[in-house]
Amino acid sequence: MKRPRILLVDDEVAFANNLLKLLSKRGYDVVVEYNGADAVSVVGDKEFDVIILDMKMPGMDGIATLKEIKKKAPLVEVVILTGHGSIESGIEGMQLGAFDFLMKPVRIDDLQEKVSEAYRRKLVQGERG
Amino acid sequence: MELKQEIDVSTKHPHLEKKGKERYSKLYRKFIFLTLICSVVPLFLVGWGIYAYYSGFSNIRIMDYFKNQVDHHREIIELFLRERTSDLQLVILTHSPDSLQNQGNLRRIFSVMNQGHSFFTDLGLIDDEGNHLAYIGPYDLMDKNYSNTVWFKEVMTKGIYISDMFAGFRNAPHFVIAVTRIDGNRKWILRASIDTEYFRSLVEDVKMGATGEVYLSNQEGILQTTPRFSGKIMGKAPLPLEFFSEESSIGIYESDSSDPDKRFPRQLVAYTWLENPRWKLVVKQDYAEAFRDANQANRAALIFLLFSLMIILVISLIITRHMIDIIKKQDKDTDSLNKQLVQAGKLASLGELSAGVAHEINNPLAIILTESQVMRDTIDEATGLNDEVKAELIDSLSQTESQVHRCSLITQSLLKFSRRNKSQREMVNLNVFLEEVIRLMDGKAKGMGIQFVLDLEKDIPSFPSDPSLLQQVFINLINNAADAHEGKPYGTISIGTRTDSHRHGVEITVGDTGSGISPENMEKIFDPFFTTKAVGKGTGLGLSITYSTIKAVGGDISVRSTIGKGTQFNIFLPFSPPDNAHENREEVIT
Repeated sequence: MKRPRILLVDDEVAFANNLLKLLSKRGYDVVVEYNGADAVSVVGDKEFDVIILDMKMPGMDGIATLKEIKKKAPLVEVVILTGHGSIESGIEGMQLGAFDFLMKPVRIDDLQEKVSEAYRRKLVQGERG
Repeated sequence: MELKQEIDVSTKHPHLEKKGKERYSKLYRKFIFLTLICSVVPLFLVGWGIYAYYSGFSNIRIMDYFKNQVDHHREIIELFLRERTSDLQLVILTHSPDSLQNQGNLRRIFSVMNQGHSFFTDLGLIDDEGNHLAYIGPYDLMDKNYSNTVWFKEVMTKGIYISDMFAGFRNAPHFVIAVTRIDGNRKWILRASIDTEYFRSLVEDVKMGATGEVYLSNQEGILQTTPRFSGKIMGKAPLPLEFFSEESSIGIYESDSSDPDKRFPRQLVAYTWLENPRWKLVVKQDYAEAFRDANQANRAALIFLLFSLMIILVISLIITRHMIDIIKKQDKDTDSLNKQLVQAGKLASLGELSAGVAHEINNPLAIILTESQVMRDTIDEATGLNDEVKAELIDSLSQTESQVHRCSLITQSLLKFSRRNKSQREMVNLNVFLEEVIRLMDGKAKGMGIQFVLDLEKDIPSFPSDPSLLQQVFINLINNAADAHEGKPYGTISIGTRTDSHRHGVEITVGDTGSGISPENMEKIFDPFFTTKAVGKGTGLGLSITYSTIKAVGGDISVRSTIGKGTQFNIFLPFSPPDNAHENREEVIT
């Protein structure tokens, strides 16, 4: 079975690297970018199934990144990670087309479950064409 | 909003308290001083002005009256003397000397002259050589010759003469009136002595109070009558000659220490000169008695003035105290408001701080969690570890994760708190929400020995509301409930929720086993600034904000209480708040 392709966008390096390890072990192909601009450019180059996107980033923040990503790859499902202070950005993200959002600190199991759901939807959408 | 520096405006601070009292004392004194100056000084000026004018006025009146008395009296005396002189002239001109020489005739004439009043002591006819030709009177004077006497010489030259008092041959003080008649080359003199006692009583017939004295004195200052108090007829008059002028006048005589008669140290003296004879009529009265009425009136005015001053003083004190009290109260209210502002400012800053902190903490927490999960993976894959060790490691990791979760809950609450100032509308799961609030208050409650007892109806539907406002409300109620247990070693706070399908909302009860609310206070508990807590421990705004908040979201709040047993608040929240509830919230928060 094809391994789902994940793009992880988070400026918190230690966190992102750990997630990379954890998700890779659980059967995902993970690419990590540490800022929004790099993430947008890599979306143009490669294909992803699910993007895990942190909302609070310096420079290009989560919302701006989301908008750009959706322009470039409208079919990609985005799971938003947000701190408790930015529920609004989570909701806003969903209005912009994100699949769902999770609050940090997030349990790996919860994240994995959410990513699976997102992937499943992507597959369904993809089948519909 | 600026956050003021940490100002401890608590009046429990002894130093500040003293300063506060000093300040009010100073203010009080200042006010009193100003009020008195503004009221006393004009009163004084007016009072003094009126007094001075009236004093002068009444003094003049009294002196005028005195002077008039004297003048009038002089006229009476002069009239008397003129009448007696006329009597004699009439006799000597209408009777021949021969008929006058007749003793019997003379006696008859004498008794007629003395009819009514015994004006004359004696009557005598004297020839131009000074010999008595005829004499009616009590003295033995027929053989006396008067050619060397003053009166004789005077009457021979002047024709009519009134003498001063003199002793004469009879050796008794008397004065005479003598008139002459010229018949060809012979002169006849008719001479009569005026009854000294009668004359004295005439002179003294002036109402002059208890200290008044009247006398006549001649140009040399020799008394012509015996004054009431001092001196004797033909003696020296009591007042020195230097005091008197040639004009009639009125003045004040002050006796000096050498004066033997110190009975009246200060006297009002009026005098006037008779023409013939040149006698001085002196009327004097103790100054105090003369001006007694005026002085009494002045004294009464003075007393009235003092009385008014007293009243002004008392009223000023009362009014000033009242004003100071008003100022004190206003200061207190302002202090309260300031405290509340400071508090709000602190909370606002704290809110911002909390948001920042919570955010910052969430990231490390997230990392810790991922590290823990990485470790789990590592342990799973580790081959060199036995099961016991693995189990222990996994157990520790579980502990770590649950503590992370606990931190996360705290940051969640902090962030909710930080959103106080922003109006939010969210779907609120009431029971979950209440449990969160209780969790926040748990520490305080435990410390006071208080247990929470929950009776939450299952599956209450979520409804739109503002969680930050609601949090404020329930924190306030639970705080009050906890504080009501002060002094008690343990207690219970019961929180219950129930759907009220009738009113289409939910009813929440917050009950405690605290000290309860007295019936008098029941009416006031929702009033702003009303608190039963000690100064500095409560601003008195909690319940009033709670009340307005609940009303603003379309709810209701009521309270029941029994002193000593406890209190229960009943809150109703509608499932669908009124449309304008959202706008109202801004007003409620600020």
